Amino acid sequence: MSNVSTYRLGLMFMLGLAAPLLAAPLDEALKPLPAVPTLDPARVELGRQLFNEPRLSVNGTLSCASCHRLASGGADDKPFSLGFDGKPVEINTPSVFNASLNFKQFWNGRVDTLEAQVEQVVISPVEMGSDWKTVVQNLSAMPAYQTAFSQAYPDGVTAANVQNALATYERTLLTPNSRFDQYLLGNTEILTTQEKYGYQRFKDYGCIACHQGVNIGGNMFQKFGVMGDYFKARGNPVESDLGRYLLTQDEEDRHVFKVPSLRNVAVTAPYFHDASARTLEEAVDVMFKYQLGRNPSQEDKDLIIQFLKTLTGEWAGKPL
Amino acid sequence: MILARRRTSQLLLALITVLLASTLVFLYFKSGRDQTASYTHSRDLIRQLQQLNAQWDSEVLKARISITHNYDPLVAPLLEMTRLWTELKSRGSYHEATDQPRWQADQQAYEAAIQEKARLVDQFKSHNAVLRNSLAFLPTAEDDIQAQFNRVDDEGKAQLQSVATDTYDLLLSSLEFAQVTSDDRAADILVGLGKLAVNKELLPVEFQAPVDILSNHISLILREQPLVNSLLERIAAVPVAERLDDLTTHLNQDQQTADLIDHQYHRYLLIFSTLLVVLLLYLAVRLLRSFAEINRVNRALQAANETLEQRVERRTQQLKDAQSELMDSARQAGMAEIATNVLHNVGNVLNSVNISADLVSRKLRSSKALGLGKAMQLINERQADLGTFLTEDEKGKLLPGYLNQLVEAIAAEQQGMTEELAQLSKSVDHIKDIVATQQSYAGASTLLEPVNISALMEDALRMNAGALSRHHVTVVKEYARVPEILGDKHRLLLIMVNLISNAKYAMSNLTDRPRQMTLVVQPGADDTLQISVKDEGEGIPPENMTRIFTHGFTTRKEGHGFGLHSCALAAVEMNGQLSAHSDGPGLGAVFTLTIPLTLAGSPP
Repeated sequence: MSNVSTYRLGLMFMLGLAAPLLAAPLDEALKPLPAVPTLDPARVELGRQLFNEPRLSVNGTLSCASCHRLASGGADDKPFSLGFDGKPVEINTPSVFNASLNFKQFWNGRVDTLEAQVEQVVISPVEMGSDWKTVVQNLSAMPAYQTAFSQAYPDGVTAANVQNALATYERTLLTPNSRFDQYLLGNTEILTTQEKYGYQRFKDYGCIACHQGVNIGGNMFQKFGVMGDYFKARGNPVESDLGRYLLTQDEEDRHVFKVPSLRNVAVTAPYFHDASARTLEEAVDVMFKYQLGRNPSQEDKDLIIQFLKTLTGEWAGKPL
Repeated sequence: MILARRRTSQLLLALITVLLASTLVFLYFKSGRDQTASYTHSRDLIRQLQQLNAQWDSEVLKARISITHNYDPLVAPLLEMTRLWTELKSRGSYHEATDQPRWQADQQAYEAAIQEKARLVDQFKSHNAVLRNSLAFLPTAEDDIQAQFNRVDDEGKAQLQSVATDTYDLLLSSLEFAQVTSDDRAADILVGLGKLAVNKELLPVEFQAPVDILSNHISLILREQPLVNSLLERIAAVPVAERLDDLTTHLNQDQQTADLIDHQYHRYLLIFSTLLVVLLLYLAVRLLRSFAEINRVNRALQAANETLEQRVERRTQQLKDAQSELMDSARQAGMAEIATNVLHNVGNVLNSVNISADLVSRKLRSSKALGLGKAMQLINERQADLGTFLTEDEKGKLLPGYLNQLVEAIAAEQQGMTEELAQLSKSVDHIKDIVATQQSYAGASTLLEPVNISALMEDALRMNAGALSRHHVTVVKEYARVPEILGDKHRLLLIMVNLISNAKYAMSNLTDRPRQMTLVVQPGADDTLQISVKDEGEGIPPENMTRIFTHGFTTRKEGHGFGLHSCALAAVEMNGQLSAHSDGPGLGAVFTLTIPLTLAGSPP
């Protein structure tokens, strides 16, 4: 009996020593970013070229990268990006980073896949304004694309392959190694006490009810204005405020949007589909008032904002 | 005709073979088309879909009792199900065409169900999230109000005690409502909310905000809880599992049908195979029969062959007989030819004999010996006075002179006749030689003796001398000095006589110029001797050049066509060669005999 307990003590001692080194991942409702998937390099490279290809737009002025700037958080800093005709679009550009982790695409989640998202943006009369026949013709005219497509796809340049190449590239656009991810992976020392408190507030106040999972959001729809009429308060209603209603014509879906991911939230201002919040503080205020129906202290809000800033990951080895 | 028929039957046979083979292959594939794996795979996919569906349901329930805040597990099953469904849909090809609409209808039913479920789950996520949030917040909200109460002094506390109790009751009924959602409790909460609104007016201003927040959240719970509950019921009611079961049932039925068809084709294959075996047996019997037939025919053929051999033997014997007969006749013909040859050559010499004989008889007829008789008569008449007569008589005085002349003439006559007779005997010798030579043909012997060519040429000329002088032919002799050679004198003579005779005939119609024949003897190249006879006669046309030496060729009316033929043969027999040359009709001809120059005295 005494032998056994000695053994146990020894084991516990050893485990106790080993614990900081092993750094077991934390079991939280927020999940660390998955590894960048290994995809066909030819398709990824082709997607990268297409992502920067202005010939996708009808007049050769816009590429995907025009609005989804990888250097500035995967979106632009404008409230509303400019379409091919120079006129602003109706809705704020969401980040392309980690978009593959969203359960649906677009603010109102009207498509399920990145391929479908590409398909719609190219033909959107306010975004790229082109049509797929033209795009395929333009790309086919370039020998470099002919070669690249024939290497990546058996059937060469087709609309489906353009969409797939872009989607494949976008699946590699993850921003790993944020401090919060490191924390989730077990490196609990990486966050300051303030930031850890911020995370605690984030959970306590119920932000986590919607912003959770691997993408810290992006896995459900939610009505904008659960605890109050946000749009009435904001005024000046536009069509894009209707959210999923535009899709389903269901009263239930009025003002319902996809909950956006909070990854890289510190570098993707302005916020919300209508770009109405220019700073994180404003956005957090709106969230508390219209979504949570709570009245937090300034200190708690500051803590939460500090926490949100730990969600900024890296792209191409550099922090965003 | 037979060929065409054979080709048709071959074509027919090939066609039947192809037909049978393709039927067999068709049946084999039809019966061997094992779709079990395919059906199993599809059912496996459906089973995985069902598992995911169940997992999805359980995740929904977990979210309902707020075990976790993470909603990713409510998204993941749908994504996986979509992927599996795409895979399943891509494997629809094994359905019968008639069954396709039903299969598609089943698929559409599933798709409708899964879409409906996804829609409801999305709604559930939204509503559940805010509901859980508010429920979780309730105690805190209550705490906030209680904190406010605690800050109030004791007097106020007593006054507000009932409000605090009401608020607490409201909180409790809300929490109960979350567990057991009923209209009664909903009414209770509504009453409580009303009371809270009334109480709010009684409370100090610092209470307003927390109370508002609480009542907002309770209202939300009141609103959302039934919604979440009904969504859960509706989610549970969505017949995704049933639709998947339908698909499985459908697949089972399809497989049964396919198996049935499969069995049917197995039966067909069996029947077809039996038929083929019967056919094979029939063919084997036929084959055996034809073997017997072939054997029989073979034996008959062998018998016929033997008869044929006998007949061939007989016929060969007959042929042999015929051949020996033919050979006999050929021999006779050959002998006839030889005879002709001999006669021809003898004829040539006989000419000379004739001439000589003629000459001798003429000389005899006109002999001066008759004059001797007359002289003797004169002498006999004057026997008495012979002296007187010889000295006195006019006639008698002439007699001695006459006799002297007569003696001289007779002597000359005798001399000529002796020469002529010698020539005659030479000709006769030649005839003898010819005959001897022709006899020697049988033995094909050649007699080689020293020959003086010029003497031989003279002999040949002499043999033709009469004819040559008759025809007024001038002979030019151009003999080079050649030594005595070893040769077949008779054959050489035969050739020369013939060539000279031919030359003479060739010029017989010549009137406009002198008939001149040139004989040339000269040594040729490579130890040969060339003897040529050239005439100025009618010549030889080129078309005759090739057949001039053939047996039976002649241009003369009375000719036999043996001369040149036999000459050429004789030349070959002497290891020599006889050639002809003519510059054309009317330009004369040259016949050249080339023989080996073998010096006399050297070994033959």
